Amino acid sequence: MLTYPTPHRSPLARHWARYRAGYAFVAPALLLYSVFMVYPFFQSVYLGFTDWNGADPVKRWVGLANYRRLASDDLLWTALRHNLVWVVLGTVAPIAIGLPLATLLWSRPRGFTLFRTAFFLPQVLSPVVIAIVWSWVYNPIFGILNQGLDAVGLENVSRGWLGDPDVALYAVLAASVWAEVGFVFVLFLAGLQGVSRDLLEAATLDGAGRWRRFRDVTVPQLANVVNVATALLLIGGFSAFDLVFVMTGGGPANATDLIATYTFTEAFTQNRAGYAAALSLVMTAISLVTSVVFIRLRERGES
Amino acid sequence: MAVSAEPWRRGRAPWRRAAPEVGRYAVLLVFLAIFLVPFVWIWSSALKTSREIAQNPFALPETFRWENLEQAWTVGNFGRYLGNSVIYGVAIVGGGAVLACMAGYALASLPLPGRDGVLFVFLLGLMVPFQSVMIPLYYLLRDIKLLETYWAFIVPGIALRLPFGVFLMRGFFRGLPAEIADAARVDGANEWQVFRQIMLPLAGPGLATLVVFQFMFTWNAFLLPLVFVQRDALRPVSTGMMFFFGRYTADRALIAAGVTIAMLPVVALYLVLQRRFIEGITAGALKT
Repeated sequence: MLTYPTPHRSPLARHWARYRAGYAFVAPALLLYSVFMVYPFFQSVYLGFTDWNGADPVKRWVGLANYRRLASDDLLWTALRHNLVWVVLGTVAPIAIGLPLATLLWSRPRGFTLFRTAFFLPQVLSPVVIAIVWSWVYNPIFGILNQGLDAVGLENVSRGWLGDPDVALYAVLAASVWAEVGFVFVLFLAGLQGVSRDLLEAATLDGAGRWRRFRDVTVPQLANVVNVATALLLIGGFSAFDLVFVMTGGGPANATDLIATYTFTEAFTQNRAGYAAALSLVMTAISLVTSVVFIRLRERGES
Repeated sequence: MAVSAEPWRRGRAPWRRAAPEVGRYAVLLVFLAIFLVPFVWIWSSALKTSREIAQNPFALPETFRWENLEQAWTVGNFGRYLGNSVIYGVAIVGGGAVLACMAGYALASLPLPGRDGVLFVFLLGLMVPFQSVMIPLYYLLRDIKLLETYWAFIVPGIALRLPFGVFLMRGFFRGLPAEIADAARVDGANEWQVFRQIMLPLAGPGLATLVVFQFMFTWNAFLLPLVFVQRDALRPVSTGMMFFFGRYTADRALIAAGVTIAMLPVVALYLVLQRRFIEGITAGALKT
């Protein structure tokens, strides 16, 4: 940028002349962001130290009482266990399905557009639509899953998927994986454009089998995409809410409660704003620490 | 799983070349069914009676009951909800794009003290879940009397998505050569003109990505309007239809018709603009 020296002006005036455009361009965004994101975040921290119920004019300071209660809150530990399952399977499964699907379409075979359009379709739909569709699929009376199982003679497998505490979490998670595959799939499709086919051909000439070529030649060149997909799925996994809320509401008997649905209930059904704020910060801390550790590990792996 | 993506390999017996192709299409078609059958089932159910839905899920409707759609549209108040969603989409995508372009431009190309600090604050916003601000934000919106208005979704919607927009646009502006802006300044353009008339048009592809991404976020956002938009007349289609489905669980044909109506606009837009959608999502994820 060009600036003209103006020696006769005060330092403040010079500073202003040089930087005012920068300030003016950043200010609107920064102001809105500060008032409606940064400030509420610190309010959350504050609320976490109170037992406020959302209505009282006074927010009573209780120190660490909320956090002491969290440590012995069975529901929190149940929810965290569900989140762990959700984060691990919800990250691994979409990658494990999306990557092979992308390699199958790498060479853009006949029907490419049809397959890509269909695999990505759930990504453009509202989570409520996906939740309703899958509630139907799982319906014990008229759902296509049970009807399909009955048709192939697997009657003993069919059940009320969302009503069975042992399988409900996995049933909702399967719907989530189904919806996320398309996202990971298009990322890998883009990543594969940068993968060298010469290297693959060289590996073939060296006698590497299909699986070895995939594992040792293709996948390493996609490391960056794997990292991005993992990071995004991890962050999304800790705050997962929509499908569980609509499909099961956390039930039956808390069998599908995640930390996000538990927080929501505490905050807006039980009106325990203070305790819910503490819960939301636990979620934030776990999510932040995990993503920072992941990014660190990835940087170490690269150097 | 069979992974064969090397059609350039030639010189083997025809049947050996054909076998992997058969395997490939077998896998692809199974997944095509997994992704499409639930929708086809819902769409065909939308034209049946509730009794038919319970009998045979895979049968075609006896008579096509288009009146289901009409009834769901009226009973479910979809005209209202879809209209609201359009209002939210235009306001959040438009307002957010203006702010994100300006801030992204400044953070990429203008001298700015404390740039790293500003970037760090926005970066945290990318990593912190919405729930960490949700509770105080609700009471803040209540106290400043926005809770019963369209602004209850618009203002936090813009703020929540700013980090993503700022980083995306900063990335695009950083890719533009600084000489162009300097040349315009020498010609006497002020900073706003440089931005508005020279640099912003050059960042067009970035802007398109931003619009696609933010539109999808806004249209499908669920938790945010669930918490902040509690007046039924102001609900967007995502939460509005949930309450509609909750009220009419027993009337299956009506629900299937409602799901179909809710899907149609987005699916139509997606089919027309699908390359934009997919490229926008890919660029948004890989470039921020």
